[in-house]
Amino acid sequence: MTLQEEVENLIVRVAMGDRVAFARLYDRTSAKLFGVCLRVLDDRAEAEEVLQEVFVTVWNKADSYRINGYSPMTWLITVTRNRAVDRRRALRRPPEPIETADLLPDSTPGPEATAMAQSESRRINECFDELPRARAHLVRRAYFEGDSYADLAEATGINLNTLRTWLRRSLIALRECLSR
Amino acid sequence: MSAHNSKGPQGPDGDDPRVTAAEFAMGLLSDAEARAVEARMAEDRALFDEVVAWQEHLADLMLDEVEEVTPSPQLRKRIEARLFRSDAPPVWKQVLPYGLGGAAAALVLWLAVSSGLVTPDEGAIEADLVAELTPTPEGGGLVINAAVDTELGAVQVVRLAGDAPENRVFELWLIAGEAAPVSLGVLDDAADRAVIPLPQDVMAELPGAVLAVSDEPPGGSPTGAPTGSVLAAGPLTPS
Repeated sequence: MTLQEEVENLIVRVAMGDRVAFARLYDRTSAKLFGVCLRVLDDRAEAEEVLQEVFVTVWNKADSYRINGYSPMTWLITVTRNRAVDRRRALRRPPEPIETADLLPDSTPGPEATAMAQSESRRINECFDELPRARAHLVRRAYFEGDSYADLAEATGINLNTLRTWLRRSLIALRECLSR
Repeated sequence: MSAHNSKGPQGPDGDDPRVTAAEFAMGLLSDAEARAVEARMAEDRALFDEVVAWQEHLADLMLDEVEEVTPSPQLRKRIEARLFRSDAPPVWKQVLPYGLGGAAAALVLWLAVSSGLVTPDEGAIEADLVAELTPTPEGGGLVINAAVDTELGAVQVVRLAGDAPENRVFELWLIAGEAAPVSLGVLDDAADRAVIPLPQDVMAELPGAVLAVSDEPPGGSPTGAPTGSVLAAGPLTPS
């Protein structure tokens, strides 16, 4: 059984109220999902609060998982990332500044992309590598830190409409790469 | 700042469904815009698929990005305390009252109908435990009697009322104590009675256990656990 199959099986049993399956699902996925919380929040106490909420949601919403169309790990990661981003936004941390130098047009892969190229690369990472480094950085900030367009405009000092256009063009470029 | 446009996300490329789906998946839309996209997704299968595709790719990105970090050992206890302390019973245990409430009546009914329905020529079954599975609110009137012969290691089920919906089957489950439901098999919709062999390792668990019937796709639950509604349930009591 692959991890996906195992997790799917466990979620279905959790939907039936099976506490043993819930404990096993926690064992199999909590370290990964805690990694997601930490990546977004960078704060262990906050991350544990969010992880707790995530597993409460999983217990209560497992029966709706089957109709949402996601693969099981995607559902868990999406719930976790969104919860963590909600928490990060509620904390109202000012967006970390992005150095203007990082945003100069530059087609060379950035350090993040280079590091990832060495790991087992998934399609999305290959597609990030095709984006100019600065654009890739903005998309990553939006996803991993939950920065809004307004946050990114503030962090860079770039006009909001310009920034939105950059980011949307980057999303289209990513999508075109992903569907190749 | 561009003028607000009630039709949706404003600005260049804002009406490209690939962009809308990505913005929705990443949480870049305002609450009102996100609600509008959710409403569209219910009607627009292509947009729905586009959002799912983005979520899958973004989850891949996340999986590659993060390391596994073990949370503190107390966290799991805190979660379980929060969820289970309040005695909220698991869904499949909520069927218990149906069985227990009707236990006495079930026994009487069983005695009344068994002589007529479980005819002696099928009498290979000598029941020492019986159950009347009465319908749950979703049960559509399904009533099944079950008789267990622990010596023989088999359960005879007799369907008294109710038919499986089209392209669905009934699956019989044993729920013993805190353990997860164990499938005893799929009931043949064409026959209103069947004898099903029981796994050896459940025999000791039978007294006081609950038999339940769920609604499943053809061939039975693909997961090994009930996936559809519980339609009827009842406890096994000595005959």
